[in-house]
Amino acid sequence: MRRVWLLAFRDLRLEMRDRFGLLSVSAFLGIMLFVMALALGPEEGPLRRAAPGVLWVALAFMSTLLSTRAFALEVEDGTLEDLLLAPGGKEWIYLGKLLFQMLLLLPMGVLALLVVGGLFYLPLERGFALFLTLGLGMLGYASVATFYAGLLSRLRGREVLLPLLLFSLVVPVVLSAVRATVGLLEGLPGDEVAGWWRLLLVFDVVYLTTSTLLFPLVMEG
Amino acid sequence: MLKTESPERPDALTWAFLALGVLLLPVGLYLALAAPPDVNQGYLVRIMYLHVPGAWLGYLAFFVTFLYSLLYLFRQNPRYDRLARASAEIGLVFMGLSLVTGMLWARPTWGVYWTWEPRLTTTAILFAVYVGYFLLRGAIEDPELRAKAAAAVGVLGFINVPISYMSVKWWRSLHQTQSIDLTTGKVHMAPEMLQVLLFHLVVFTLLYLGLVRFRGFLAALEDRREEA
Repeated sequence: MRRVWLLAFRDLRLEMRDRFGLLSVSAFLGIMLFVMALALGPEEGPLRRAAPGVLWVALAFMSTLLSTRAFALEVEDGTLEDLLLAPGGKEWIYLGKLLFQMLLLLPMGVLALLVVGGLFYLPLERGFALFLTLGLGMLGYASVATFYAGLLSRLRGREVLLPLLLFSLVVPVVLSAVRATVGLLEGLPGDEVAGWWRLLLVFDVVYLTTSTLLFPLVMEG
Repeated sequence: MLKTESPERPDALTWAFLALGVLLLPVGLYLALAAPPDVNQGYLVRIMYLHVPGAWLGYLAFFVTFLYSLLYLFRQNPRYDRLARASAEIGLVFMGLSLVTGMLWARPTWGVYWTWEPRLTTTAILFAVYVGYFLLRGAIEDPELRAKAAAAVGVLGFINVPISYMSVKWWRSLHQTQSIDLTTGKVHMAPEMLQVLLFHLVVFTLLYLGLVRFRGFLAALEDRREEA
């Protein structure tokens, strides 16, 4: 468990020091949302209706960009082998990377939420419920994304392959997250949205456990 | 399924499956065209005899891919990888057949070829996952890494199969619910239609078994060539 935290915080510190990655991703996020708002606007109705979909598409693109960074530095510096050589199971590498991804994704997700709130008139009153949806959705997405990023890290065409594989696999997560967000937007009571949250939670658990179990099998050798 | 590591030609069982499947297919088609029309759908119901077994065999094929992918991850035997790939390939064909027949049926019934309802969407996603499976295979040179990566997709991608199967129940959608419900064991269908459907199912299964064994054999030949 301690290793998981150590790995996540080391990666986070490296990411903070570099700053280029985070800056480019937030710039990408901003521009993308801005262009979408321009294309769909300027009336409030259509913008508001598009908001949940736009939010999750933006989040999906953003986390794909970020997920390649989970293992990119390790491969560049040749430290992936060292990590794999460490005694004991390999699950902690995956979990550490996932934690690192979540620590990056959640603040970025909140940023995206605020920008969508501003540009697309997405009401932010139910902040906690929105944040819960965000967390559940991002966890489902990141668990698969981190797994694939590790799997493809030693490959040349990974930037193209990753989204291709990821998007088809995580569509159920994105779909239920969008549904939950739509529900919140329309002001449905909490227990009606809760069905989608439960579904998201099921996806999270399934993806997380399968990825954790598969990771050592795939990375060895 | 193939016992020997490097067979010279497909074994007798493979030929038997293929021959039976190919011979019985016209019989099945004749039976389907002779089956009574449906009360609501009329003659259109005949598409179902191809549509339903196609979807089932697609699910079955992806399940086999899932099993062999898991086996490969634990045992690292290239044979398992070959069979996982063969099954995914045949599964894609059956799934494709099911999608196309479904669209042909939807046009006169619903008025459109495609609509974004849960069953159709989840099936299309499933199709895309396994297309991705082959894209991935094509992108990796190193055979061992390729097999491992593909196996991971084969295992993770299978999660979508139960979602697709249950989607008509969970979302109460436009698509018909299952005629033969595997979760409760109830059958909602006239017996003479059921017989024809089951006959088609048997024929498709025979074809599937024969094709997978044959494809596995071809893949073994390809591998041997790659090594040489």
